[in-house]
Amino acid sequence: MAYLLTQLLTNSFLRDPEKAAVCARGKTLTYRDLEEQSNRLAHLLRERGLKSGDRVGLYLPKCVESVVSMFGVMKAGGVYVPLDPQQPAQRIAYIVANCSMTALVCTPEQLKNLPSDQVQCLQFAVAPNESPLASDTSCIPWNELSKYPAAHAPDCPRVTTDLAYILYTSGSTGAPKGVMISHQNALTFVYWCAETLQVRSDDRLSNHAPLHFDLSVFDIYNAIEAGATVYMVTNEIATFPKSIAKFIETNGITVWYSVPSALILLMLHVDLKAHDLSKLRTVLFAGEVFPIKYVRQLADLLPKAGLWNLYGPTETNVCTYYLVDREKLPTMDRLPIGRACTNTEVFAVDEQDQLAVEGQPGELFVRGPGVTPGYWGDPEKTKRSCVVNRFQPYFEEKAYRTGDIVSLMADGNYDFMGRRDSMVKSRGYRIELGEIEAAMLSHTAVREAAAIAIPDDEVGARIKAFFSMHEGNSLSAEELQQYCATRIPKYMIPEQIELRENLPKTSTGKVDRVSLASGAARVA
Amino acid sequence: MEQQQTEIKEQVRTFILDELARRKGITVFSDDESLTENGVVDSLGTFRLVTFLENNFNVRIADEDIVHENFRSVREIERFVNGKLNAKAAKA
Repeated sequence: MAYLLTQLLTNSFLRDPEKAAVCARGKTLTYRDLEEQSNRLAHLLRERGLKSGDRVGLYLPKCVESVVSMFGVMKAGGVYVPLDPQQPAQRIAYIVANCSMTALVCTPEQLKNLPSDQVQCLQFAVAPNESPLASDTSCIPWNELSKYPAAHAPDCPRVTTDLAYILYTSGSTGAPKGVMISHQNALTFVYWCAETLQVRSDDRLSNHAPLHFDLSVFDIYNAIEAGATVYMVTNEIATFPKSIAKFIETNGITVWYSVPSALILLMLHVDLKAHDLSKLRTVLFAGEVFPIKYVRQLADLLPKAGLWNLYGPTETNVCTYYLVDREKLPTMDRLPIGRACTNTEVFAVDEQDQLAVEGQPGELFVRGPGVTPGYWGDPEKTKRSCVVNRFQPYFEEKAYRTGDIVSLMADGNYDFMGRRDSMVKSRGYRIELGEIEAAMLSHTAVREAAAIAIPDDEVGARIKAFFSMHEGNSLSAEELQQYCATRIPKYMIPEQIELRENLPKTSTGKVDRVSLASGAARVA
Repeated sequence: MEQQQTEIKEQVRTFILDELARRKGITVFSDDESLTENGVVDSLGTFRLVTFLENNFNVRIADEDIVHENFRSVREIERFVNGKLNAKAAKA
C-alpha cells in the first residue's frame, strides 16, 4: 500500500514502464515518460528553491504536462493547486496570493496577464510548452527539464498527512476557499475506488472534469494506481456532445465519470444508439442531483453498464455511493446517495443535535481519514466545518459537517434531501428547493429546472423557478405551475416561473443557482 | 466571393463578440484562437451560435455537424458555413 500519491505512479512504472499512462491532444505519455519527466521537474523545482510544503499553481489547459506537473510538484515535496485557465485573471491572482504560491506552471502570456502587484509571492514560473521565445526570461521553458536527473525523485522527507493539493471551490460568500487535501485523504478515496470498482490495467478511463474539480482525482489517480490509461477530455471535445460520443467510441473508454449535466447533454443531443458504447462498463456521476427520468434513459442506453451515484463534498472526496438498482429504477422517484465508503463513517444529526433516527431528516456528518484537515489560511471557517465529533467521547477527533440534509432509509441507504441552506421557510412552511425542482423535472417537456429562494421580509422567502424545455415542446409558466400543483403542496409552488432557453452553468458544469439568484434579486 | 467570405467571418465574429464573449469579460480573440479553450464558447453558447448561423445564413445544421472540427475557431466556423452555402448553391 502506498502512503504517498506519487508511489502509485512509481509502482505502476516499475510493473509496466512502456504502457500508455495518459493521453491528451494527440500526445501520449507512457508510465516511463510520466515517471521520468516528473522526477526531472521535481529536481528543477528544488533547484529553483522550492521547499517542502510550498504551493505551486497549475495554470494551464488540460494536457499531458498537467499530469507531469501534478506528480512533479508532489515529488518535490510541494503542494499543487490546479487553477481554471478560463477564470478571470483577478480570481487567479486572488488564489495565488491567498495561498502565497511560490511558483506557477503557465505560459509567459498568462503570467503577463496577472496583475503583477498582487502576485508578488511568485518566485518563478515554468512554461508547459517546448520553448517560449528565447528573449522571454519570465518562464523556464519545458525543455529545460532534460538537464535534470530522470532516475530518482529528489530526496525529501514526506509523510502521508502532508498536503498533496489544494482545491479552490466557490465559497458562499463569494471568495474562493482552498480545501486542503493530504496524501492520506486522497489515497483513502483512491483505494476505496480501486477495490469497489475493480479498476484494472486494461481499463481506459476518461477524464471529463477539469483538474480543479475533485471528480478528476478519481480519473487520474485510479488510472495510475491500476496501471491503466486515462484519456483527457479537453474543452474542445467537452463542449460538443457529438465529439464526446466519438471520443468515448474511438478511445474505447471503459470507465466514465462526470457531472450528470454532461451525460444529459450527451443523451439529448446525440443519437447514442448510432455509436458503439459497448465497452463502457462503469459510469460514475457526482456533483449534483441526477433527475431520475434521465437516469432511466441512461440505463436504457447502456443496458450492461454499472451506474454509480457518488456523493461527497470536495472536503471529503467521495463519502457515500449508490449502485443503481436496475430492477427498482422504474418505481424510484429519486436516487439515494447510498451508504458510506470503506474507511469512512457518515451519520445524520438532527436539529436537537442528536443522532437522527431512521426516516428523520438530519445534517450529514463525515468522519475518517478521507476528510480534509480544513481550509487554507482560514482557521475560523475550518472550525465551523470541521467540528469535534461529540458522538465519539473517548478522545478528540474531528468530523466534517456537510451542510446537506439526508435521512436514513430502511434499506440502509441515505436519501439526499437538499442543502441545509436550500431548506427555506416561507409562511412558516419548511420548503426544500430540490423537491420543487424534482416536481418540475418530472414534466416530460421540461429539460432543466432550478428553484431559488428570494429573501422576503413579509413571508420569509418567495420561491422563484426557472426552466428550459426540450425542443419542439410548448409549455407556459402557468401550465407548469398548474402541473406542479398536482405534485407538491400549494405553499411550495413557485410564485414566479420563468422560461429560459438554457439555464446558466458554473465552470464545473452544474446549474449556476448563484447567478440565477443574483439576477432574480436584482429584478425583485 | 472574397467579399462574401469576409462578410461571413465578420458577422460570425460580431455575434460571438456581442452575444457570447463580452458577458464573460473577453473582448479580444484572434480568428484562429480556440474559442472553447479561451472560454468564449461553452456548450450552451454552441447552441445559441448554431441558431444564429441557421437563421442568419439560412442553412440547416444537423446534430452531426456540431463537432469541434467545425466550431473550433472563427476561421473554422467561416469555413463550415461556406461549405454549407456551397452545398446549397450546388443543389439549387
